[in-house]
Amino acid sequence: MISNMESTGRRWLVAATALAALGAALAAGRAHAQTPPAAEQVRAVDQDVQVLKKQLIDLNRDLFKLEEELLYPASTQVAVFLSVDVGTFFALDSVTLKVDNKEVAHYLYTDREVQALHRGGVQKLYLGNLKAGPHEIVAFFTGKGPHDRDYRRGATLTFDKEVGAKYVELRISDRVASLEPEFVVRQWE
Amino acid sequence: MLAAALAGALLYPLISHAVPAKGAVAPDFVLKDVSGHNLRLSEYRGDTVVLSFWGSWCGPCRESLTQLNAIASLPGVDAPVLLGVNLDGDAGRAVAVTESLHLAFPTLIDTKQSVGRLYDVDDLPLTLLIDPEGRVRGVWTGNTNPMPELTRRIKELQSQ
Repeated sequence: MISNMESTGRRWLVAATALAALGAALAAGRAHAQTPPAAEQVRAVDQDVQVLKKQLIDLNRDLFKLEEELLYPASTQVAVFLSVDVGTFFALDSVTLKVDNKEVAHYLYTDREVQALHRGGVQKLYLGNLKAGPHEIVAFFTGKGPHDRDYRRGATLTFDKEVGAKYVELRISDRVASLEPEFVVRQWE
Repeated sequence: MLAAALAGALLYPLISHAVPAKGAVAPDFVLKDVSGHNLRLSEYRGDTVVLSFWGSWCGPCRESLTQLNAIASLPGVDAPVLLGVNLDGDAGRAVAVTESLHLAFPTLIDTKQSVGRLYDVDDLPLTLLIDPEGRVRGVWTGNTNPMPELTRRIKELQSQ
């Protein structure tokens, strides 16, 4: 909810900037309209608009970075990613993530998203803040396992959060020896 | 006082929920359909989408669903993506109605009514027309028969 409000706030800021930029572009266009519309002038206005668009995209990117740095400073930041390696023994349906026994993320995967993960995509499942000290992450994976049976497994990681960002990867892979899926939680150094 | 009013005016859109207005981006969501597939609204960007919220206890909803079911066979209209969102607390009843009406489009199950709250549904049926850019182009609620205007607007969108 807070994240939605923050992102809405950011969008408002970007929208306000966009409006200002569009206003400037329109004013420029109006100024041009007072003189005969030569092809050169139209081209110049078009170039101005393109430059403004690029500036807007750059500004949006910078605001996004700034927002992330402000809301999730490196000293407390924890990010959890999900990836799938082969994954022939498990059809992913959803993941529920708990941090210190509190549910922080629940994600339902569409067929297209699962395909993207199979093609090597990595999903940022959760981004949050944790104070320094011991913590526990538990992930519950739901889907279809071998022989198309309903399958639900959990994976746990306990770790000490130090000063500095913590990155955790949830990885679904195949355990060929037992013909079963394997769920691994590992920390990125 | 003025500052408080200004702050309220700025914050209200951030904290309030309402049926998305025309021109607003339809809030994204993901739900399971009756066959267990997860469907996400934003994956239909590029298509015209008709989204209809309904309940099995709602008579006008059934009528609306039957009319929507016929949209695919209307002359001069390329069938839009139709998505029904059932707001019953019981998925079994949603499945029964879907089967009895022979619905040819996915019925999504919103047992927790989280998407219903997101769209501030308080009058059923609620039908929304969403353009290929994900913006709401029309909203119809209650007993209003949306079909004539809905069909016209779909044709308009498809001719653009």
